[in-house]
Amino acid sequence: MRRLIRHDEDEINRILSREDEILPSSGFAVSVMDAVRREAAAPPPIPFPWKRALPGLVVGGLTLILGLVTGVMAIVQLGRASTTAQLSISLTSVLTTVFQRTMESAASWTVLALLVTFVSVKLSMRLASGRG
Amino acid sequence: MSPNDDQADVERVLAGDISAFEGIVRRWQGPLINLAYRFCHDRGRAEEMAQEAFLRAYRGLGQWRKDAVFSTWLFALATNLYRSELRRIPLRIVSLDDIAEPADTHASDGGLEEQDRNLAVRRAVGALPAKYREAMILFYFHDMDVTNAARSLGLPEGTVKARLFRGREILRSKLPQMLAVPRLKEA
Repeated sequence: MRRLIRHDEDEINRILSREDEILPSSGFAVSVMDAVRREAAAPPPIPFPWKRALPGLVVGGLTLILGLVTGVMAIVQLGRASTTAQLSISLTSVLTTVFQRTMESAASWTVLALLVTFVSVKLSMRLASGRG
Repeated sequence: MSPNDDQADVERVLAGDISAFEGIVRRWQGPLINLAYRFCHDRGRAEEMAQEAFLRAYRGLGQWRKDAVFSTWLFALATNLYRSELRRIPLRIVSLDDIAEPADTHASDGGLEEQDRNLAVRRAVGALPAKYREAMILFYFHDMDVTNAARSLGLPEGTVKARLFRGREILRSKLPQMLAVPRLKEA
């Protein structure tokens, strides 16, 4: 058995160690050097301006979290009020109430959205123009 | 090919003489293309992968620590690139179970011709799971030198030996008749 395995191994070695060699095409080295020269001539990539972008990202993240927390809290409070007032309240009526409350505060959300848009546009313009 | 030539060219390139990189390309284009060819069995794709390997080598020349031979670093870089390229765009691999076996190995002409048998064994290697296939490709590329294969793959020698053993076992189990042909002839 050991001899058979040894024989198979020799056979596999014999076949696989005789892989055909291919020669590079005549223009290969020239083409690589062209690519290398293009690479060397290209300006270095502009690194992402983390320092400048960080305040905007932090403010954006905090606003998002604040919005989510406010929304969840509003839904929870509404659910509690609805449970105590009327146990058999349907999901549709809860959603309708949430929608109505949202519409009431739409003006403040619109103002907030406009403010965030204005800040982000100003920030993008400053980053694009490279002014610090 | 002398390691000193590589070191001298690398130093010149790092000092700003880009044309010195051509020496490196000319010395290593054959091995890098052939290594790529063993991975993909497509000449055009092999040259594209080798070109990308040279570009990456150019970008990373400063990272070559001179405690290792330049070729070891270059092969490791190229192997890494070829492996990820093939993961990104895999080859059309024939299943091991679909690889043709000779209908009758006792036929007067010995069933499959030797050329066909060799081709089937190579296809079977191509159909192995990636980790066994890569170990086998590097082992035979480096003239059956486990140490160099392990360096190129960035794996411990023991792991490479285990993968080679398992890869051969799979080949033996999938191609028993083909591998038996010469034994029958010898008997």
